[in-house]
Amino acid sequence: MELLKEIAEKVEAGRQNEVKALVESGIERGIAVSDILNGGLVAGMNSIGIKFRENEVFVPEVLVAARAMKAGLEIIKPILLREKVRSKGTIVMGTVLGDLHDIGKNIVCYMLQGAGYDVVDIGIDAPGEKFVQAAKESGAQIIGLSSLLTTTMVYMKDVVDALRASGLGDRVKVMVGGAPVTQSFADEIGAHGYASDAASAVDVVKRLLA
Amino acid sequence: MNGKERILAALSIREPDRVPLYIHGINEAPIIGIGRQITDGLPDPKEFREMNDQEKGKLLDTLFLIHEHFGVDGFTSFEIGHEAEVDERHVADDWGVVYTRSPHGLPVATGHPVREPGDLATFTPPRPNRGHLVLLDLGRERFKGEKALFWLMRGAFVRSWRLMGMENLMVQMFDNPEFVHRVARMVTDYSLEQLDMLIDAGLDVLVVEDDIADRHSPLISPAKYREFIKPYNMELVEKAHLKGLKAVTHSDGNLWPLLDIILETGYDGLNPLEPQAGMELKKVKEYCGDRLCLIGNIDCVDLLPHGSPAEVDEAVRLAIADAADGGGYIVCDSNSLHPGVDPLNCIAMFEAAKKYGKRRA
Repeated sequence: MELLKEIAEKVEAGRQNEVKALVESGIERGIAVSDILNGGLVAGMNSIGIKFRENEVFVPEVLVAARAMKAGLEIIKPILLREKVRSKGTIVMGTVLGDLHDIGKNIVCYMLQGAGYDVVDIGIDAPGEKFVQAAKESGAQIIGLSSLLTTTMVYMKDVVDALRASGLGDRVKVMVGGAPVTQSFADEIGAHGYASDAASAVDVVKRLLA
Repeated sequence: MNGKERILAALSIREPDRVPLYIHGINEAPIIGIGRQITDGLPDPKEFREMNDQEKGKLLDTLFLIHEHFGVDGFTSFEIGHEAEVDERHVADDWGVVYTRSPHGLPVATGHPVREPGDLATFTPPRPNRGHLVLLDLGRERFKGEKALFWLMRGAFVRSWRLMGMENLMVQMFDNPEFVHRVARMVTDYSLEQLDMLIDAGLDVLVVEDDIADRHSPLISPAKYREFIKPYNMELVEKAHLKGLKAVTHSDGNLWPLLDIILETGYDGLNPLEPQAGMELKKVKEYCGDRLCLIGNIDCVDLLPHGSPAEVDEAVRLAIADAADGGGYIVCDSNSLHPGVDPLNCIAMFEAAKKYGKRRA
């Protein structure tokens, strides 16, 4: 559908005002909000995600695209809630204890929201209990851990252990990422998934929720 | 040759008597860990601010001693005294940027005073303070010209995002590019004025420390880097050269998409060449080793924390083999000697530089 394609293009271009206008137009025309979400907003972010992974666009382009997508999402959110359109899943995201860096974690949050997931961002310097509490309260299926330093990534194991101790270990999966993190480290601490960059985090989440 | 001559030769892409050795950055814990191998009376590892005056004096003396004992050819200095404590966890610099402290490394900027164009109307930038150059002065007095004096100066990207917030800066590049240029101009004017002081204080090498990439890619596109960052950092390089200094740029991460622009800027050296980001020494050397001195690449993420001294020795041997022919390579770690590195591995790196670094015939 032409309108949905246009929404996707404007999301990709970061044109938030045009996205808002097109989304409103779509609603007026009776297009299903789930189609506007998936065929327009998510499709636009998906395209940006692919370009980001391929180094064709960079963080600023992702940020303005995410802003545009969010602007459109805010318009359809009340309708999605009213129509009880279910989210694809909920992910708790945070930077681990002692680590104050957030740009990588934030980009992952935007990419996941852009892909249609609900994200609970608990911020930086987050101890294991905070992740577990957020997972309990939100009913999240996944906890995503970010770390930029070799000296803080060790706290990822604490989160995995806290999750197991809480009894949520069977229901909630753990995804890890960040500059010093590797697949072998993820395996070593018992994480369920590892994302080497923000764009592939969406793929990891899809796989974990399948 | 002494250390200064060695460093300057390497930065001029001439082969010195041996491959120089340099420490770009080192935290308290590794100073103490390495220092304990060569001196007594060091405190247990803690942050500098938690030390009493005697402990601070001992730490600084040990830092100098490490350079002397292990033959490190360049000494890094940076601003001290420009931060004021806000509370137990936070400090603010003289720009009004608030940093949150972390026991795992440098404080991280979390409070940004210039978020909107209107903020500039009421914002007064600081003037450089000569007293903040105390570490450079101490290094100059201690080493008396035997070692090259380096200064870490934040570049336009880092200074700008600390003032504006990183995500805000990036979005403003689209929404309000003039605002971004005004901030870059303001911070560069400060840096140029500080550079005058540094030149008078006897600096040899200006390091424009402007972290702008992660392992995957630069944070901003080459086009935005060329528009918003290059012209401003280039003013620093040009002034440094005009006054007879060398200029190096530091950024972690994958710099390949920016490398041509880095070369255009006129830097003499590139640090730290993060191996996990694809900055393979051999490939970078092949691409631009005749124009740019390569500084770093000895892995501080896995190797220096978790490897063995024998593995570190081999890594240095390979790095020298890949990059030192004809000059233009300085042995250094791939970011900093941070609290997680093994002191014995650091010493292995220092010793390997000597062992393998002698000039080839």
